[in-house]
Amino acid sequence: MNNQQMEEYKLLVEGQLPWPQTKNLMSSYKDRDRFFKILKIYQDKVKWDEKILLPIGEHLFIVQKGNQRLVKCTCGHEFGDYRKNWKFQSVLLVRNKVEDLESIYPHSDVCDPSWMEIREFICPGCGTLLEIEACSPGYPITFDFCPDLEGFYSEWLNHPL
Amino acid sequence: MKTARPVVAGIDAGGTMTDTILVDEFGTFTIGKAATTPQLESIGFLESAIEASDYRGIAIEDMFASVEVVLYTGTGMLNVLLSRSGRNIGLITNKGIEDMVLMGRGLQSWGDYSYADRLHAVTHHHPPPLVTRRNTHGVTGRMDHMGDEIIPLYEHEVEQAVNTLLDKEVEVICICFLFSQVNPSHEILAEGIARTILTRREAKTELLSSHQVRPVIREQSRLNSLLIEAYATGGGRKQLKSIEKVARENGYRYGVQTLQSFGGLTSINHPNLHETMVSGPIGGVLGARYISQIIENDSLVVSDLGGTSFDMGIISKGQIRIDQEPLIGRFKLNLPLIAMDTIGAGAGMHVKVDPLTKKVSLGPESAGSEPGPICFDKGNLVPTICDCNAILGRLNPDYFLGGKVKLNVDLAYEKFKETCADVLEVDNVYDVAEGMINMLDSEAGVALRRMLSAQGIHPSEYTLLSYGGSGPLHLGGYSRGIGFKDIITFQFAAAFSAFGCTTADFQKRFSRSVHLDIPLEAPFMELQETVLTINSIWGDLKSRALEQMVSEGHTADQIGFQPFLLMRYTGQLEDVEVYSPIDTINSVNELNRVIETFRNIYKNINRSVSDYGQTSVSVMEMGMIASVEKIKPRLKKSKLGKSKPEERAYKGLREVYFNSKWEKTQLWEMDEILPGNEIRGPAIIEHPATTLVIHPGDEVFMNEWSMLHYRHQE
Ligand SMILES: [Zn+2]
Repeated sequence: MNNQQMEEYKLLVEGQLPWPQTKNLMSSYKDRDRFFKILKIYQDKVKWDEKILLPIGEHLFIVQKGNQRLVKCTCGHEFGDYRKNWKFQSVLLVRNKVEDLESIYPHSDVCDPSWMEIREFICPGCGTLLEIEACSPGYPITFDFCPDLEGFYSEWLNHPL
Repeated sequence: MKTARPVVAGIDAGGTMTDTILVDEFGTFTIGKAATTPQLESIGFLESAIEASDYRGIAIEDMFASVEVVLYTGTGMLNVLLSRSGRNIGLITNKGIEDMVLMGRGLQSWGDYSYADRLHAVTHHHPPPLVTRRNTHGVTGRMDHMGDEIIPLYEHEVEQAVNTLLDKEVEVICICFLFSQVNPSHEILAEGIARTILTRREAKTELLSSHQVRPVIREQSRLNSLLIEAYATGGGRKQLKSIEKVARENGYRYGVQTLQSFGGLTSINHPNLHETMVSGPIGGVLGARYISQIIENDSLVVSDLGGTSFDMGIISKGQIRIDQEPLIGRFKLNLPLIAMDTIGAGAGMHVKVDPLTKKVSLGPESAGSEPGPICFDKGNLVPTICDCNAILGRLNPDYFLGGKVKLNVDLAYEKFKETCADVLEVDNVYDVAEGMINMLDSEAGVALRRMLSAQGIHPSEYTLLSYGGSGPLHLGGYSRGIGFKDIITFQFAAAFSAFGCTTADFQKRFSRSVHLDIPLEAPFMELQETVLTINSIWGDLKSRALEQMVSEGHTADQIGFQPFLLMRYTGQLEDVEVYSPIDTINSVNELNRVIETFRNIYKNINRSVSDYGQTSVSVMEMGMIASVEKIKPRLKKSKLGKSKPEERAYKGLREVYFNSKWEKTQLWEMDEILPGNEIRGPAIIEHPATTLVIHPGDEVFMNEWSMLHYRHQE
């Protein structure tokens, strides 16, 4: 494997790749095994050993643990089966009062909390903000992504899961 | 035989090669080439000048001692801009529009992108600003669009801003206020305040204001022009000075000249040096204008195929199109530039096959001169169009750049097979390579057709000129089926842009935004007033132009003046550049003559059906061009000889791949082809700097001016 290329991808994953190279990557073709190269970078980054199957957020992965497939945070905290919405296992902070909203938008106009609230989903293990929803009060918590892992691996990646 | 003395040396430093063309007093010329050295352009300049002198058989010192004009067009300033290695600048502007620099114009975030990237908004990205937000200071004060003061300038705020910028040790302070093209008094006032502070603090900081650099409407473009002048010309001028130093050390007695983007020569001490930032490519259009007089067809299409780009331009009935607000280095500028269309397509272009979708594509990256294509054997392993040409036998591996570069065709074949043919699962590597070349040819052909139809032009009235190092190599392919009246290329195709630059005259161009509506049924008194306004502006511009020309060593009696106007039908959005047929307008009748000229030019550019007939017109900008003539190269005319080329021109046979089969192809030496000679394809005419491929059945004929006419098989 090309080391220089791996260095580039590593910087990309870390958000450190300078714009011209990033643009270059965006505009050119993907190498056939890009997905697995990126997985390797994530796998090297995390401190745990479970095999990463799919990244589903900046800090979240679907991993293989025994015969289970779980959602796992970079810190190691586990959210349970990937087919269940991990958000229900997170710490939830709802900003639905003017003062709570103003604390993140100081000196600025904020939304009317009777029309919109901000929900922050936080990892119980490390306190990292994992996801945000901005929606009207009462709107059900969305399940962002329930991937067809089997299909993705067999039909898109041509690789055993 | 009396040896002619070289009088003009034109040097064009492109992205890859630096070309030198030496013109003697009889107008004959020789050409030298060397790799461009962007770090210190004077190295490539000297090497290429030495080669041109060698061909002429004279020492470099004798050449420089002999020439009267050295004109240099390079990419130094553009490189400073693109690599963001310019000066540290500060900006003073109106309070409330300080974010103008950060916001920019939307199209600056995608203007130079490929079509695919334009569609993918995720790739859009504003160019990094030339001045930081922290170095941008807003001061209270406002002029309206009529030039009336709405809020007086708060002088203490200007003082404060200047002092802060000086504390930060900026190298240039720029001043740009809204509507200063109508009334510059606030800019002048601010500049005075700043100058006083500079003197008091004994600071060497430069001052520049937008009404001096470009007093033209639209503040974004005016600001960009101002900032680029402040940012990039320092480094650019250093490159030009180093060129001048090298020329002088080798015996040159005068100042080096460079080319402004609208096509006029000027000293490298030109005050607004950013006006010379893009000058290389336009040389081709100037050369074409010159050729048009010889071939007696003033309607031409020019096409320049180099290593990285395919540039196209049009001259319609002698009229060169000027783009008044081009995008340069991703900034919109108020800078008159000879209009050229460009697509990323060239011989150095990478050819790639997507391993997932098997989609074949060209570029957008290209190999450049270092390390060059694979066959140069200098480390690049991504195949290029040049490699495809080598694989198919179209390039002579022992005669590239006259043999200076030996082509490693086996390596090119191996890598091309691995990354393209094998991925496509095609066994015949040659078919794939030919397909790649066809793809480049058709992209270039489609771009030509698109430009022609956008202008409403029928190719049967137009002669296509093809030049650039790779022009003749692909000419047969990209011009096929378009139906031009005639197709011409040159022995000196590789240096045609440099040749074109040497056909330019010394010129200065001054202009100012105005807004004069000339309604159809205006009362006589109103027209009378318009006449006075026009004359007073022209008078003003003329005296500025005269002053600058004289300061550069021209005498007043040598200088010719051409007043011009940018006009449009009232309510339209685009201007047409109108050279006034008369020096001053003294009556309403003469004003009507100018309007008539505008109507005719408008018809020429946009076809006669576009004539609006009786409609009001508006004048949006007025200007003055001052020119002094310069000696130009002359093409040599000879008698047409017999159609069969001389024995000594014949170089033998080589197997070349055309239309999926190998053909025994005749090889000819271009410099030995004589006027009257006809060569039928499949054939290849080789020159140290270029290769002309004649496809099977096509024909090339050399006319009495030694131009090569390419004729497609019926
Ligand atoms: Zn966590």
